[in-house]
Amino acid sequence: MARNRISSFLESPRLLSLLLVGAVIWSLTSIDWSGPLFHTGGGDSALRFLLALFPPDLSPGFLGIVVAAVWQTLAFALAGMTVAVALGLPLGILASGAMASPESRLRRPTVVGVRFLLGAMRSIHELVWAVLFVAAVGLSPLAGILALGLPYAGILGRIYADFLVEAPEEPLLALRSSGASAWQLLIYGRLPMCLPDLVSYTFYRFECSVRSAAILSFVGIRGIGYEIQLSLGDLLFSQVWTLLLALLAIVALVDLWSGYVRRSLLTS
Amino acid sequence: MSLPLQPVQPERELRGKAHMLRSVTFARLSLYAFLAMVAGSWAYLFASGDSGLENLFERQTWSYAAGFLSQLMGLQVDGTPAFLQLSQWWETAKLAYRTLAMSVLAMGIAGVGAFLTFMLAARNVSNGDLGNAPSKVGTVFYHLFRGSYAVSRAIPELVWAMLIIFFLSPGILPGAIALGLHNLGIVGRLTAEVVENLDPAPARALRASGAGLFQILLYAVIPQALPHFIIYLLYRWEVVIRTTVVVGFVNAGGLGREFRLNLSYFHYDEVALIIMWYLALVIGVDLLSAWLRRLARFD
Repeated sequence: MARNRISSFLESPRLLSLLLVGAVIWSLTSIDWSGPLFHTGGGDSALRFLLALFPPDLSPGFLGIVVAAVWQTLAFALAGMTVAVALGLPLGILASGAMASPESRLRRPTVVGVRFLLGAMRSIHELVWAVLFVAAVGLSPLAGILALGLPYAGILGRIYADFLVEAPEEPLLALRSSGASAWQLLIYGRLPMCLPDLVSYTFYRFECSVRSAAILSFVGIRGIGYEIQLSLGDLLFSQVWTLLLALLAIVALVDLWSGYVRRSLLTS
Repeated sequence: MSLPLQPVQPERELRGKAHMLRSVTFARLSLYAFLAMVAGSWAYLFASGDSGLENLFERQTWSYAAGFLSQLMGLQVDGTPAFLQLSQWWETAKLAYRTLAMSVLAMGIAGVGAFLTFMLAARNVSNGDLGNAPSKVGTVFYHLFRGSYAVSRAIPELVWAMLIIFFLSPGILPGAIALGLHNLGIVGRLTAEVVENLDPAPARALRASGAGLFQILLYAVIPQALPHFIIYLLYRWEVVIRTTVVVGFVNAGGLGREFRLNLSYFHYDEVALIIMWYLALVIGVDLLSAWLRRLARFD
């Protein structure tokens, strides 16, 4: 009886609520509450920062810098996505196990190995990759592109693999029974069937990569984040606002665009 | 009975086809535009000369990279590399502990913020689809909260951290706030969308038996949306633990700060130790979140 009660408690939502609330309370206790929470003058600079929104810096000279930064950020996002798709698609196909025959003894090790590789690629944050690449090969656009491309390839590859595995079986069976090879199954069966999902997910990730590209500038790669850092360092708050608004605008635009593309792909 | 419907049918089908064609064209055009932008980006990044691509073919780059890797593995350190010393593991464990606390606190901030707002940010609550009376105030709240969600999630964690560290003293609190704000927007929007897709029947039944808005939310909306809300929070926790390192770069405490410092002092063996702890945290949180998510699927 008691054991029954314990085991039902272990599976109940009450345990979950207790755990979640407890975790947050624990996290609050690990803050150092004794020191001052604000910097000396922190409140003042917060106020000055907020007031600097009226108006943001819209002088033509600075707007030129903003436009260049926006383009640099977009360019890194796009180049990074190219690497991500170029790496993620073949790895995803391998991780789906679609290329090996079900009886093959190599199939399971390949799938597990490639999935592990994809997991390792995406468990390190893109900025950490960036720091490592810059330390290893020096500061160059290539470091930024690879830093974006690797973790995104890890994410895309895993999702691509899941889509390919879930492709409907009947058309594939029809192809196989008419003698199609694994390659032909892939090119005429799985890929075309999954294409809308694959493209749609890639567009969604493109949206995320714009945000990631904006912060990549933190390691010295140029773009919106880099400019925000410079302006913040010079206490030019109205410039920070302009840059933030520009970031908001491109994220919103890409969001809208990718939303339209996904909807049009998934309804058709 | 079905006679009046018949002439309508082919027309509707045609319109459906036209719609399909239009959306296929849109998707295709988007794909071309995307490819053109990709080509433009590569051209731009590699036309400037110092792209780094040609460095790939120089021996020096590779010897740098190899040197970096061997230092990371502690091969060129005087004495024992940091990750082979128990005392160093213990020192870094404290940082990992604080990093974990930061991620939990961030989820707490995002969770409380999203929980307080997600219902008012759902269209079907504001426009009275759930059986309550539609009100102007509701519409205002809807746009206000949806707008705030969009802003808070469009600004990356690191940018939030850069701004917040300007006012708050360094520590895990500014990092947690930065992570919390970004994820508040994400979790809030996702949960509001869950509410918008809820089955309206229970809410309408409650309304018909005289329940007010508060009671409708409490008895019809929250019980249905809560499991999704918690699952989204847990999913985001897995992302947040990966990002804690990044907000640490701007002095927000935890492993990230130490990572950054050791990297600038060229203590690469300690960098390796921090990466090991980081991976341990990531894997641990993934497992924990998977277990908690299983608990959350109570139905």
